[in-house]
Amino acid sequence: MLERRLFRALDWQLVGALAMLTAIGLAMIYSATYDPTSGRVGSEFGRQTVAVAIGFAACAICVAIDYRTLADQWRIAFGALSVLLAYTLLFGDEVGGGRRWIDLGPANLQPSEFARAAVALALAAIYTRSPGWPRPARDWFLGGALVAVPFLLIAQEPDLGTAATLLPVYLVVMVFAGLRLRALAAGAIVALLAAPVVWAYGLEDYQRSRIVSFLTPESDPLEAGYQQIQARITVGAGGLTGRGYLQGTQNRYDFLPAAHNDFIFSVLAEEQGFLGVVFTLCLYLFVILRSLRAAQVARDRTGTYLVVGIMAGFSFQVLYSVAMSAGFAPVKGLTLPLLSYGGSSFIATLMGFGLVLNVGMRRFTN
Amino acid sequence: MERRHEAAGIGAIGRLLVLFRCVVSVAFAILAAGFWHLQIDLHPQYLERAGNNHQRQLPLRAPRGVVFDRDGRVMVEDRDALNLSVVREKVDDLDRTIRLLARVTGVAPEGLDAAIERRRREPLHRPIVVIRDASRAQVAAVVARRAELPGVVVEPTLIRSYPGATMAAHSFGYVGEASAAQLAAATGTGLRRGHIVGQSGVELSYNSLLMGIDGTRRVVVDSAEREIDTIGEVPPVAGQRLRLTIDADVQAATEAAFHAAGFDGAAVMLDPRTGEVLALVSLPAYDPNAFARGIDGAALDALTRNRLRPLQNRALQGRYPPGSTFKAAVAVAALEEGVIEPESTVRCNGGGLHYGRYYRCHARHGTVDLEAALEKSCNTYFYELGARLDVDEVHRWATALGLGELSGVDLPYEVQGLVPSRAWKRERRAEPWFPGETISVAIGQGQVAVTPMSLAVMMSTLVNGGQRITPRVLKAFDDGGGWKAAAPGRPARTLHVRPETLAVVKRGLWKAVNGAGTGRRAKIPGRDVLGKTGTAQVISRAGRTAAGAAARALKDHGWFIFAAPAGDPQIAGVVFAEHADHGYLAAPIARHALETYFAKRDGRALPEFPTTPPSPPPGRPAAPAVVDSMVVGGD
Repeated sequence: MLERRLFRALDWQLVGALAMLTAIGLAMIYSATYDPTSGRVGSEFGRQTVAVAIGFAACAICVAIDYRTLADQWRIAFGALSVLLAYTLLFGDEVGGGRRWIDLGPANLQPSEFARAAVALALAAIYTRSPGWPRPARDWFLGGALVAVPFLLIAQEPDLGTAATLLPVYLVVMVFAGLRLRALAAGAIVALLAAPVVWAYGLEDYQRSRIVSFLTPESDPLEAGYQQIQARITVGAGGLTGRGYLQGTQNRYDFLPAAHNDFIFSVLAEEQGFLGVVFTLCLYLFVILRSLRAAQVARDRTGTYLVVGIMAGFSFQVLYSVAMSAGFAPVKGLTLPLLSYGGSSFIATLMGFGLVLNVGMRRFTN
Repeated sequence: MERRHEAAGIGAIGRLLVLFRCVVSVAFAILAAGFWHLQIDLHPQYLERAGNNHQRQLPLRAPRGVVFDRDGRVMVEDRDALNLSVVREKVDDLDRTIRLLARVTGVAPEGLDAAIERRRREPLHRPIVVIRDASRAQVAAVVARRAELPGVVVEPTLIRSYPGATMAAHSFGYVGEASAAQLAAATGTGLRRGHIVGQSGVELSYNSLLMGIDGTRRVVVDSAEREIDTIGEVPPVAGQRLRLTIDADVQAATEAAFHAAGFDGAAVMLDPRTGEVLALVSLPAYDPNAFARGIDGAALDALTRNRLRPLQNRALQGRYPPGSTFKAAVAVAALEEGVIEPESTVRCNGGGLHYGRYYRCHARHGTVDLEAALEKSCNTYFYELGARLDVDEVHRWATALGLGELSGVDLPYEVQGLVPSRAWKRERRAEPWFPGETISVAIGQGQVAVTPMSLAVMMSTLVNGGQRITPRVLKAFDDGGGWKAAAPGRPARTLHVRPETLAVVKRGLWKAVNGAGTGRRAKIPGRDVLGKTGTAQVISRAGRTAAGAAARALKDHGWFIFAAPAGDPQIAGVVFAEHADHGYLAAPIARHALETYFAKRDGRALPEFPTTPPSPPPGRPAAPAVVDSMVVGGD
């Protein structure tokens, strides 16, 4: 299955960049869970190491099987995702008023993290099926339905942040599949007009308070605004060169909630400074631009759609999470792919890149 | 290849990918710029906020300075004590712990609850003091039950201690947590909430010397305010040691004499040469130890509502009519204003007629000169002086001698007495002065009201050759570099008074004790005590009869001013015996203080106060003959 020729065609630069980001992530998780009093590191580091191993293995599998084969079987992937999401909603672990995880004994599974890759695969498959132009309306509806099902299931958990990451996947694939940007702009205007209505009727209280606290963090320094204020302090304290590995006081003394998770980039900013931030952002940008080459050279539309879909979700999540880590965006329970602690997130991300590598590798095959 | 991208041509895909790359790149650039702003532009500000987040300065309390008497005996010091505190973080069941703690220590659980409730919002790991200055038995009980009382800790602390309990309480004062007003007044001095500061007495007037400088310990805390590490320490500097002018023996003897005689009141004893305060008594007194332990509301209420007013420093804050002790000042005024010569005599037939009214004396003294008038406290003689003197002349000389003025003693809350004048009456009463009023003023009645301290100053000035000294309680201080003499207060002012005037008055005062006078109970053979009794009328005699005679609160006050020895006075002062009824009953208290003073100076054993009060002076009728006050302005 994996011929030598294919192996050589694998984008090793991209793999190298992914490995570097993974290593940075592990180092930051180590720092974020390190207890300066006892000198010991939290169990999260070991668990993430295992997740990394699984992630790269899953990545290899996603590379090995021809993406066209996978796209043909998109129903299985999509069906499995839907079942898992429904199961989570019904029987998931209830934590903090939400059901987002399935308890697997030694580890938890967060099915919503796999939604982006599965949806990208499904969209790539169905938009390849009907070649002609203009695209029949049922294509748009089917695409919308494929996004709407996981979106609603995830939003119901409730985890609006993760659900929202499906939207860029959907929009970007549609644009590549022929949707006019003009139509997209019109939709954006409609969404903008609908926003006040959604604000009044569509949002829960905690969601509104998050947005309010984002706009005026000092108004509520102990509750919702606390994380945001602490995030800015953490990032700002880093300066140009950072405070040194394991030396960030915001991190060490637990002033930053969820440091190893949603705010891992803040830890990096505090300890490695602006230089570390720029280096890491460059790595991310390299990963995205390099991945988009695969979309360009893909031998069919399925490959292109698949890559742009995956990369749209990835780019959006990276940008949002990094912005949030500096207090530039409202706090949402959103991981930073590759860096944050979280096995499901890491494995799903690596599976996505497996597909990207897959497309790039098979550009010459028939 | 040309068939691959039917929907959007390959060119379109390429253009879209360029757009995608551009959007992502621009977004990353914007993010990087945002991080530049936070991490470079605003870095100093956020670094400081991060520092504030995790660093705390904990105060290290400086022990207050020790206070000694003039002989170096410890009067006030900080004592090691133990507090019992609760660390809620380590307590599983707070209610159960409090109930058990209350039971084994024998205190009411409500008090413990209240102590914790007051500091409920503080971090859980911080100990909350629930029993201050725990007894040995309480500490032992808690230690024995350590297993049942997790989270109850014994913490060492310093507590201000006054070994003499109530002795000289008003001079030493007491300490307490800084009040809101004190905090507001002391902005910039580092005084913070919870600091223990002097609230009265020397503790207050020399608080800045006694307080010392708190040290600090800089610690690292985590987000739960738990202390993780110490990163620096500035040790505290103990407060300065103070040596007072107070002589604990004279002080204790005077208080003992008051107790033995059964009087409340006040006494001030000065070294008339320097103004050093040898003893300062105000009774009843309070126990400053109660304040140091953190007095509770009920106990403080009881003190402030006590009708005997134990918190008042009668020596500085009590204003009473001076009665016949005022005659010494009137005598000086009369001689200096030239209205009499020392030899001038007045005929006393039991009273005198002035401004159409008959003013009575307490006896028929016959023909008396000034010395005899002072000796026998003849009112008729001083009525005559009152008629010859203008009230402003009396005012001028009484004020020059220290009456009606602040003495300037280095103790807080001194109040000013009153010696009336024309200007005063015009201002306060909007009335002119009536000459008849001067008649009562001349025997220390009427509107005259003075503090015991001001009478002690007057007596010192009379006997030291007219030097108006400023009383001081601080003799020396030790700022760590050895004892240094305290800076002198207001320099002594010299009265422009003829030496003969003072000599005549002193002779009269000598006779009052050593002759046939009213102060004979203060006579000490060989000591040449000078003195003058006085009676401060609380209520007119008619009023007293109407009120039913013997009520203690209506009895007159007894005064005795004194100095000794006559040739070279080393001690001068005043005894004010509240509701003693007669001036001569204050004299034995002064005598005991003087005997103690001289015995100590000569290295002899200190005397005991005679347990049975001495009988009235022999050869004279009892009370009526010596009651030297007079109904004035009659009712």
